[in-house]
Amino acid sequence: MQLKLFVLSASSVALWLVPLNMLDKKLDIHKAVQGVSLCAAIACAVSAGNIARELSEQGEIEAIKERAITADVIDEISTSAYISQQQRQQEAEALLNPVEHLERALALTYDEGERSEPIAQKQLAEREQNCSENGDSERTERIHQLQAHGWGKAKIILEIWGVTKGGSPKYKAAEAEYKRLMQEEGG
Amino acid sequence: MRAMYLANYFVAGCIAFSLLGWVASLHPMAFQAVLCLLAAIACAWGLSWLLDFSLSKLLKISVADLQALLISGLAMLLIGLGVFLCS
Repeated sequence: MQLKLFVLSASSVALWLVPLNMLDKKLDIHKAVQGVSLCAAIACAVSAGNIARELSEQGEIEAIKERAITADVIDEISTSAYISQQQRQQEAEALLNPVEHLERALALTYDEGERSEPIAQKQLAEREQNCSENGDSERTERIHQLQAHGWGKAKIILEIWGVTKGGSPKYKAAEAEYKRLMQEEGG
Repeated sequence: MRAMYLANYFVAGCIAFSLLGWVASLHPMAFQAVLCLLAAIACAWGLSWLLDFSLSKLLKISVADLQALLISGLAMLLIGLGVFLCS
């Protein structure tokens, strides 16, 4: 197609300039040839222009398609990045504040109806039990760490429960808790 | 490719004005007719240049495009007739 375009363009210029310069205007036959060649040159130039316009429009359409594909890809990437960021944020929120999450779920469950109340209470109780177990295990681990540093019972109770040695009910409760944790660990 | 098709149409316009000169050279009456045609073209060109804003609204093209068309038309006339007269 492009070869045809270039041939037509070159022939139009040649048909325009060559007969006008080479042929004699005083001879009738030459004048006739000049007229015919000028008409042919116009036809060649217009045909070449039409072909070039079609090619130009096709090129513009291809460029538009490429831009649309690029925009689609960019949009897809940005959407997936946004979704993954949202997922990470939700996961982080769920990890950081599980109790609040459960309370929200509980509130929603209450809104849905009274039938779901026992289920929600059970979920909350399980969650609290898990939390207390986690707290016990953390305390036990901390006690072992302090014992490894050579700390005594009174100092450990002061460190973990924040009560000083004496006959206060708080200290007695903390001491009982300490003993329970040690027994659980031993048993 | 856009420049290519504009250039081809420009060359076609130049050849058309050369053909007009060739027609004018055929007979004195044809010469008079071509002169009248060129005078009419000159009047239309001048009016278009003066009424460019109104004409651009009428043709629904920008003023810059209309002025480019007018200037390219003048260039086609000068080149086409110049090539014919100098040959």
